[in-house]
Amino acid sequence: MLTAKDENGKPIITPEQQTYFDGLNDNLKEMLNRAVEKETISRPEHLSILLGLQLRPQKMELVLQNNCILCHSDSANHSADTLFSVAPVAGAKPSHMNLKEIVEDVHFRHGVSCAGCHGGDPAADLGHAHVKEWPEKDREKNRAWVVQFCARCHSDPATMHDFNPALPTDQLAKFKDSPHGHRLLDQHDDRAPSCVSCHGVHGIRPAKDPQSKVYAQRVPETCGACHANPETMAGSKRADGSPLPTTQLAEFRTSVHGKALLQRGDLGAPACNDCHGNHGAVPPGVASVSRSCSLCHSANASLFDGSKHKIAFDQHGWAECSKCHGNHAIQKTHDQMLAAGPGALCTDCHRQFSKDNPNCEATAEYFHQTITRMDAAKNDLMAVSEKLAAKGLDTDPINNQLTELADTLKKTRTYVHSFSRNTFQQVALPGEEAARQANALVNKAREDYKYRQIWLAASIAAIGLLMGALYLKLRQLEK
Amino acid sequence: MDHGEKGGGLRGWLERRYQLATLIEFLSHKQVPLGSHWMGWYYLGGITMFFFVVQVITGVLLLMYYQPGEATAYESIRFLTTKVPFGWLIRSIHSWSAHLMIVSLTLHMFSTMMLKAYRPPRELTWVSGYILFLLTLGFGFSGYLLPWNKLAYFATTVGTNIVASVPLLGDWLLQVLRGGPDVTVNTLYRFFAAHVVILPLAFVGLIGSHLLFIQRQGMALPLGAKVAPRGMKFFPSFALRDLLLWLACLMVLVSLAVFLPYGPGIPGMDWELGDKADPMAPAYPGIKPEWYFLWEYQLLKEFPPHLFGLEGPQVCLFLIAILFGIWAIIPWLDRRAARGQASPAFSDLGWAAILFLTYLTLAGWDIGAGGAGSDLASMPKVARVSAWWTLMAGMVVIVFRFWRYEHRYFVLTLAALLQVGLHGFFGVSYLMAGVFSIAAAAFAAATLRLLRSGTAGGGGP
Repeated sequence: MLTAKDENGKPIITPEQQTYFDGLNDNLKEMLNRAVEKETISRPEHLSILLGLQLRPQKMELVLQNNCILCHSDSANHSADTLFSVAPVAGAKPSHMNLKEIVEDVHFRHGVSCAGCHGGDPAADLGHAHVKEWPEKDREKNRAWVVQFCARCHSDPATMHDFNPALPTDQLAKFKDSPHGHRLLDQHDDRAPSCVSCHGVHGIRPAKDPQSKVYAQRVPETCGACHANPETMAGSKRADGSPLPTTQLAEFRTSVHGKALLQRGDLGAPACNDCHGNHGAVPPGVASVSRSCSLCHSANASLFDGSKHKIAFDQHGWAECSKCHGNHAIQKTHDQMLAAGPGALCTDCHRQFSKDNPNCEATAEYFHQTITRMDAAKNDLMAVSEKLAAKGLDTDPINNQLTELADTLKKTRTYVHSFSRNTFQQVALPGEEAARQANALVNKAREDYKYRQIWLAASIAAIGLLMGALYLKLRQLEK
Repeated sequence: MDHGEKGGGLRGWLERRYQLATLIEFLSHKQVPLGSHWMGWYYLGGITMFFFVVQVITGVLLLMYYQPGEATAYESIRFLTTKVPFGWLIRSIHSWSAHLMIVSLTLHMFSTMMLKAYRPPRELTWVSGYILFLLTLGFGFSGYLLPWNKLAYFATTVGTNIVASVPLLGDWLLQVLRGGPDVTVNTLYRFFAAHVVILPLAFVGLIGSHLLFIQRQGMALPLGAKVAPRGMKFFPSFALRDLLLWLACLMVLVSLAVFLPYGPGIPGMDWELGDKADPMAPAYPGIKPEWYFLWEYQLLKEFPPHLFGLEGPQVCLFLIAILFGIWAIIPWLDRRAARGQASPAFSDLGWAAILFLTYLTLAGWDIGAGGAGSDLASMPKVARVSAWWTLMAGMVVIVFRFWRYEHRYFVLTLAALLQVGLHGFFGVSYLMAGVFSIAAAAFAAATLRLLRSGTAGGGGP
């Protein structure tokens, strides 16, 4: 079979496939031989497809033990809807019948194989007896059965312990309580997602696999497949009855979190599930917004919790962080947010809700002035330090002060969330002192440079005098 | 009594012991021959030696703080330049003086070459001077690594890697040079040993021979002269002029060190300490050697990966070895100068060499790339702009020689310019352009020789 040729006389098994075959261990070669003898591999074209997968030995062993795959990968036995092909035509149904995908599936790799879901006996020559939970008809009409079907194993700690003891088994319970679960299970809405909507069907991979549909960087796209689609989301409403928007994905992509996750590849940045949850996905309520944000921004959150604003926000019923920073389209903060005047965050809000409290505006003004003053000092001193370094002066002490200044600046920007002048002032003081010290050191370095020039001038004068004397002596001698 | 005749004071005391009057008498009779050429060329050797003395003095001062070692080399230089009073000045003077020494030494070598001062009986003066030149390059290469900063580390890695191309012995030589397969602290130790012990000992010994040869044979007379047309007393006239120039050099050196402590800001002439070497960090693009190695770096780049069944760098190294070899034996090649006759072909060879080095150095500097660096896309533009500048310089040189020195032989200069022109303006590969130019030069030289012999034959009795 390895030497068979097509009608044009070209070998059906390519040289790469032949090399792969030659490299297989004796056990796998024996298994291949048996499959050929039993005619589960009956044609060189079929063998070529299997060898062309270039699978690692462990995976090839799983494939060769599995008569379901052997039979369903031979185009002579099956039509397109039940055939696993290596490269199915893009868009052709069913898209999950990709042989390359199924061999990567985490279930397949752990030996669950086809029979785990579909029933039958993969070692038998022929068998199509489905497990009893497998619906005989209308499988695609209502997907509610899928969650129960997956939960047969995934909600059973004993079963899951054999495969992955670290994997939680509460997915179904969470899902049932989530808006997704209500829609699918209680309202029987076909648009609501089931397990396969997010995890896929035959190519399911662990969440930490970069190719998984639920890998952190792919989560926005996976959620957006429904939430950014106005057709799917038509009729969906928020808790207050307003229509659910479909702009979240686009907004997230422009946000500071989206740029960090999707452009810089920073896996520490949040995806949808980090704020909304996954199997129990739910929009954070007023009370829980700050809890979500504080998972990462703990310092800001704890300062806010002890501030006057906490009480005021609770009284107004405002979600804490998102009131000022927004949610999906959250942008990098900037010092202008603290500025006084129309369009500035603090002033606008205070003029509307705290008209009789001029101190608040003055505090915001103080925050803004202190931070911008330190920022300007840092930038100016850095530029000066670079120039002094280029002149060969020792700028290490200046740079040490600038590091202190930069650290303090970062801290003061956080301490804005205390909304307390005194607390903020205590944090800002070392920074202002560092700026003063750096300024003094810059002046000292400039003085040093002046001394260098004076010493140089003196040296040049001395050398010049010596040269003059020599010249005169030479003239005298040569007369 | 002798003691009474030689007077008192320190001079008398010294005179009684060392008979200095004899030495001064000898020196005052020593004459520096003056001829048709500019006297300035005579001072270049002295200036080079002045810079060497500066190197020794500042080098010793640096040694008082420098500690070779993985954890100390960079730190000690950093400490020296930031905390030690005038430490920055010493390092800056050492670096400036190193570069200026190479400049004056190169000028000294080329002036000797152009004035044919190498002709017999001064062949060994030329050879010893030439070895001193090579040792100076060795000083530059070994000293560069000592601060153990990032730039030096990678430049040394690239630089030492070149010896791996030497046939058969390449790998062994690389191991010897680096003290192992990679540039490590072992490399630093041996470069340190070479820089402060081996090279200085060899250098001082050779300078001794070089000066002894000059002392014994005197300075070369102008070409064709049996007796110097004019002369200048070595002592005090020439010696005091030397001293005056050294003071001027010191003035320039100190001023440069104060105003431009890290060099003029030209790539390959920059010694800002920067970051510490990190052997684990990836080499960053655009690493270039010091300016005096740039022509070799560029020449290596002009070679294809494989040539004549050998690796390109191997062929290039072979070519460089031949060029260096030819330069070393010039006194024996220039037979006309040996007979006291004008040898215009060798004057022309000197100028052609200068233009050859000029083009490669300019191209190595990525002149015309507009800061884009040496990427593939900007190479034709770099070649064009560098060729343009070299051609301009070549034209000025030809006109100047024709008018000032009445030179009439430009075959080699024109061949060098032809190569540059073909490569820069017509996109012919550098090597093909070189082969074509050498063939054209050989044809032109043969034709000129035929014409001359024809003229000589026709004019005979």
